[in-house]
Formats: sequence, structure tokens, C-alpha cells
Amino acid sequence: MSVAPAISGRRASVSLRHRRSARRLSKGQLTDLRKAVTKTQRIGDDRGYQYWAGVHGLPNPQSCRHGDELFLPWHRAYLYFFEKALQDQVAGVTLPWWDWRDHSEALPAAYARARTAEGKANPLYSSPIQPSGRRQPNERRTWREPGDVDWLPSANQVTQVRANRDYFTFQNQLESLHNGVHGYAGGTMGAVATSAYDPIFWAHHCMIDRIWYLWQLDHPGARLPARYLDLALPPFPMTVRDTLDVTALGYDYAAATAAVPGTGNG
Amino acid sequence: MVDRYRSKALELPDPEHKIDRVDLAFYGVDHSSATYEARIFIGAPRSLKRDAGPDHPAYAGSFYVFGHDRCYGEEGHCKVPEKRDPFDLRLPHHLEPTTEIVTVTAAIERLLADGKRKAVVDVIARDSEGKASRALDFTQLRLLTYR
Repeated sequence: MSVAPAISGRRASVSLRHRRSARRLSKGQLTDLRKAVTKTQRIGDDRGYQYWAGVHGLPNPQSCRHGDELFLPWHRAYLYFFEKALQDQVAGVTLPWWDWRDHSEALPAAYARARTAEGKANPLYSSPIQPSGRRQPNERRTWREPGDVDWLPSANQVTQVRANRDYFTFQNQLESLHNGVHGYAGGTMGAVATSAYDPIFWAHHCMIDRIWYLWQLDHPGARLPARYLDLALPPFPMTVRDTLDVTALGYDYAAATAAVPGTGNG
Repeated sequence: MVDRYRSKALELPDPEHKIDRVDLAFYGVDHSSATYEARIFIGAPRSLKRDAGPDHPAYAGSFYVFGHDRCYGEEGHCKVPEKRDPFDLRLPHHLEPTTEIVTVTAAIERLLADGKRKAVVDVIARDSEGKASRALDFTQLRLLTYR
């Protein structure tokens, strides 16, 4: 057994970017996110939205890892590279998280409405699907079919899952909650092959990644086997070990931050 | 594949010993078809209705499967190899069956308090609209008690 890399290094804390709740984005943050998504949708090569959505599902190979021990690190790497693609278009933009524990407004307003407040098409509401990413030839855009709201995890369920001390049991039970959210959203989100084309996919997985981060804070002494830490996460040039410290990846999930100048002598 | 399952009676943990935690582990769970919820009931009567939910006294929890839907490759693409070469360093096949672990401590404690020593497990699979889902398939169920 080997000790997982600490997440308390807080490297480059001044320049860390914060991923925020999709329900609490400022107008400027939401505008930047929409602008970044729109710009990546216009790029037809491997910097574009369609390319990144296709890495998860169709076209083959469907590289995502589900139902196995790489579920959390693979998706952390995936979010990291997609967020970098967004930041290449709009500097500083970050992925927000969808807090599905709040069942009163199941889908965040930023994603739930077809039009923005300014009357423009909302790029977070739906996305085109490239021909090679479609299950049927006529599935040109993403669609949702929300089902039973009980499929969305409750705060209590998340607390219970976070209480697991064993990483692999935690991951297994968190993946099951994650599966329910895909099923709740339905439509394009309800199948592995197409789910990442729906813009809500990224906010859903950001929530999963956030819960993993919170679990890491809860269990700083968690130990992971060395053979696990060295597993690769194709197609990303990363191993499991590379994903464990989010501050090394340049982001954090702190709900609020406040800073004051230091002594000036440092 | 089935839309519901009823186990043989499982022996419950010895009530003389304090329990920290009890998990139900489903091994060899297939995820090659639809997305579904598996609702788990422990100690329910044979007359358990298929729309029973979390308010049923025997409800113990749920797990959710994110289905692969269907095969989008050519023939053989979604066939899980039966044997694996020990020198095969590739990642597992994408449809390698998975394990689902559901913590059922409270449900088991209730049964023990009622004096039960054995109980059957019922699993009902449903889609997100509440319809029966014939996607449930697993190879083994095990009750794991931790003290």
C-alpha cells in the first residue's frame, strides 16, 4: 500500500480557479461559460466540443470508464482536458457543478431554459450531435426526458456515501448515485454512448468530482494501492496518481474565498 | 435478464454481536443494456408489489445501473472475453460485469430486532418512468457484515 498524494499542498493557491455551483453563477460567469461553449461548438477539430463529447461515447472507441475502478480518476482527467479546451476560448472560465441534491428545481435554470434572458439560443440547453456520435441518423441534437425525481440523490444519501472510509467502496457507491442522475435526465444523457453531448453532463460530473474532492478532505489518510496509482487513463496522458491532487490541476471547489494582502516581505 | 429477483433465504448476522455495518454486494452485474434502478427489499413477503418503494417497511436501498444501451460496433465488439491472458495489459473490456455495493445496516438491524434469523432479498428493476426493466442480471449476491 502506498499513501495517496496529499491534497493539502495548496500549490499555486493564488492562481487556483474555483469551480462554482451552477445555481450561483454571476451574470458574467454564466456569460463566459456560454461564450466558451459556443466557441468550442464552432471548432470542428480536436479542440472542439464535438471532439470532446465523442471521447466519452460515440464514435467508437468509447473511452470512458464505468463500472470499474477507474471511474473517478478517468472522469477527473476528462473534465480537466475539456475545461482546458474551454479556457483556450475564454480565459479563466471554469466548469460549474450541478447540485442535484436540491430536488425543488431539479435542473439548474442556466441549463433548463431553451433561451437566455436576452432571448438568444442557450448553448447549455442542448447541443448538436455530430453524425458519428448519433445512435440514430435523426438524433441531430441532444434531448432530455426527466423522469422520477427520486432518482436524484438526496443530501442524506451523499452524506452516507461520503462516510465510507474505503476508497473503492466510496467510488462504487458514488458511481451508483451518478448512474441515477443519468437515468433521471434521460434522453441523450441516459446512455453512455451519447451522454457527454448534453451540456448538463459536464455539470453533473463536476458534482461527482466535487464529492470525491470533499471525500478526500474528509479522509486525508486514505491509502491506495501502488498498482492502482500507476494505472494509465487513456486517452489522457495521466495516471491515477496525477489526478489525486486537484490543486495540482489548477482548480478547487471552495464555496467562498476571501483574501487580504500579506506582509509584503515574502 | 429479468425485471425482478427473489433470493433464497440468507442467514442474518449473529444478533449477539454488535454490528458496525452490513453491505449487500451484487457481483457480476451486467450493464450492457438499459439504464435502470434496482430496488432492494429484505424480508418482504412473497406478495411484494412491483411498484413498492422507499416507504415499504422492507425497503433497504437501491442501486442504479448506467446502461451501455446496445452495441455500436461490429459483430463481437461488445462480447466480453471469457478468458484473459495474464500478460494482457490492456484495460478491461468496457462491458466487464461490475459490482454494486449497497449498505443495508438499518434494514438488517430492524430484522434482528424483530427476532429474524434469516431473510430473503427481493430486487425489482424499473426504468425512470417506473416501468419494469428486464435488464437485471448478476451472478451472485452476498451479505457482508462488519464488526
